[in-house]
Amino acid sequence: MRLTDASVAIRPRTAWEALDLGTLMARRQCGVLMASWALITLPLLAVLTAVLWKYPLWALLIFWWLKPAYERLPLFILSRALFREMPTLRESLKAFPRLLRPQLFASLTWRRFSPSRSFDLPVLQLEGLSGSVRSQRLTVLGQRDSGAAAWLTFSGLVLEACLYFGLIALCYMLLPQQLMDDLGWQKLLQESGGEWLWLDHLRNWSYALVLMVWEPIYVACGFSLYLNRRTALEAWDIELAFRRLRQRLTGSAYALVLGLVLVFAMPAEHALAANSCPPPAGDFNPYTDREPDDKARLTNQALTSSQAKQAIKDLLAAAPFQNNQMVTRWRFGEEKPEEEPEEDDPDKVAEFFEKLFKLGEGFGAIEMISLIFKVVLWALLISLLALLIWRYREWLRAFASRLGLPQRAKREAPAMLFGLEITPESIPDDVAGTAERLWLENPREALGLLYRALLSRLLHEHRLPLKSAHTEGEVLRLVDRLQQSGLSQFSALLTGHWQNLAYGHRLPDATVRDQLCNGWRQQFSGQEPT
Amino acid sequence: MSVSPANHTVTQDALAVLDSRYKVETPEGIDLQLRPAGVVPRAMAFIIDLLIRGGVMLVAGIVLALLGDFGQGLLLILFFLLNWWYMVLFEVFNQGRSPGKQALGLRVVHDDGTPVGWGASLIRNLLRFVDMLPVGYALGILSSLLHPGFKRLGDLAAGTLVVYRDEPPTRPQIPEVSPLRAPFALSQDEQRAILGFAERQAGLSSGRRAEIAGILAPALEVHADLAEAELNGIARGLLGQA
Repeated sequence: MRLTDASVAIRPRTAWEALDLGTLMARRQCGVLMASWALITLPLLAVLTAVLWKYPLWALLIFWWLKPAYERLPLFILSRALFREMPTLRESLKAFPRLLRPQLFASLTWRRFSPSRSFDLPVLQLEGLSGSVRSQRLTVLGQRDSGAAAWLTFSGLVLEACLYFGLIALCYMLLPQQLMDDLGWQKLLQESGGEWLWLDHLRNWSYALVLMVWEPIYVACGFSLYLNRRTALEAWDIELAFRRLRQRLTGSAYALVLGLVLVFAMPAEHALAANSCPPPAGDFNPYTDREPDDKARLTNQALTSSQAKQAIKDLLAAAPFQNNQMVTRWRFGEEKPEEEPEEDDPDKVAEFFEKLFKLGEGFGAIEMISLIFKVVLWALLISLLALLIWRYREWLRAFASRLGLPQRAKREAPAMLFGLEITPESIPDDVAGTAERLWLENPREALGLLYRALLSRLLHEHRLPLKSAHTEGEVLRLVDRLQQSGLSQFSALLTGHWQNLAYGHRLPDATVRDQLCNGWRQQFSGQEPT
Repeated sequence: MSVSPANHTVTQDALAVLDSRYKVETPEGIDLQLRPAGVVPRAMAFIIDLLIRGGVMLVAGIVLALLGDFGQGLLLILFFLLNWWYMVLFEVFNQGRSPGKQALGLRVVHDDGTPVGWGASLIRNLLRFVDMLPVGYALGILSSLLHPGFKRLGDLAAGTLVVYRDEPPTRPQIPEVSPLRAPFALSQDEQRAILGFAERQAGLSSGRRAEIAGILAPALEVHADLAEAELNGIARGLLGQA
């Protein structure tokens, strides 16, 4: 038995995960496991039923008591399947009498109620230990995970009960109502005489069916707990990795024979043969030895042609290249036949149309009704919505305005900047002329007018987003952004003189007057009626 | 996200290696390893939850019996909450863990490994009443025995999975020897195996340790008796400074 041939991934797991692996192992071999179980147990139950017809409870008790005896067969199948030597049904049944012999009496008497029965069985059956050696071995193995084995047995009890009562309830549900009325449970319970014995035996048989499903899984879970324990104790996974590493490094064939051989229940000479005949060294290749090499090329390389072909095929059949989807949906089955008239017989055709017409009338009535319902339902929905809106009108008025998209607030053009009135109405039409006239009497007012007018124009004609928080410098920077060099220069000049006058009380020269007024005319001449 | 149960194709391909892991591939091409939990631990978790709920109902029943009809009404409401919302609320607010699942180290996740949400949790718990049919969860038991990811019908409908929680790893103990460099390049799996050898020494017998280490003695070019110390040194070297 080669560890590399193991059909399960070998690595240490938690005890619960080992149980899950056992379920998967049983599921993979479920056909043979269930069939062999049925072939052993059901004939026995048949005999018990016949012999103990008067005592159905005793039949069930004996059948249940013998469980450890049947459990040896699933373990045999699973242990062989672990190393990909799956026995056929015939082989398994042939092996069964031989499996029964060792320590049967102990299994059926004082070990019958051991909670870790499934975990102990491999030690008995596969390692063939008995007596004090067995108990020593069990102490070593049972240091961990035997708790899980006990919980497995406990939950097995619960699951068996659930499935058993489920099966009975299912049968009960399937009885026709009329029969139920005639029967009545009361009557059934009262009449415990011979008439109803068959019902008790039927219950026994349903328990046997439940066992057929659950027992292979129970045995497999115990076996996988055992394997897991040995994997942890003997570091099977590390041995496997080390052997692979050595093979990679030294290139020698790895005769991966288990060091502590699992003494499995098989003819001794067979086991010896497997041990003493490692595969031929040197050109051993695990892949080519297994595959039939038809038309194989490049066989001396690490990657042969057949392998490469297979790998490519697998890759192309997998997810990104092929996405198979199955879509299932419901449709009416009766629609079809009416639409396929047989046109060879005129009478039939006429009859068909007549029928179709009648059907159409029927349909019309149905459609009418459905239309009415549709209208009523829609009207209900709409009136309900209207009622809701009316009921919550106050709430909506208060809060619904907030629910809308945030609106851009409309910008109010400021009427005053720096304490100056800048509405277009407050500015005279002929700014330059007015300023020239004012300059002589009141230069401050004249310069103020020019600046006011500038701001007004910037605000209303150039649409500069001026706010009352802006300073003069910031206004200039905004003007620069308009990228009109003439306007920028003029604004800078005007602002400079205005600031000198307004804050510094320094009167500008007389030459400045012409400069500014001409500059104004130049800038705004287009709009300016002179 | 494409979800591929690692052991789904097992029945078709007899050569495939059976494993209890479930691989989820993220769009980034990263494989997440989930470990679905089977019938036995889930049944245990359910029994614990059942006992807790039964206990709460019992205590509440005794206390509320003092209140007469009003108490009976409250008891019915409590029963409704425990019956329909106990699992859902715990799963959504406690990272997919009801108290029973918490005790067994389980949690509920979506098929792609993301935490379970309201929709999935509601569906999987409402469909308990299908899993219970005909009596005592028989359908659910059969379904999770047959499914490679151990799903009951509610899990199938909601697209959820009950997995083992990953406990935060503890720093393993490695024998104190002077670190060595491996005389050959090692792949990740091989490094892991050597580290595993050093970490699990306490659980192995000395004879078994020598036997396993002896496998690599020719490759390490040392005598078989010294291979074990050499491997420990390499493991220490791989681990780096603590």
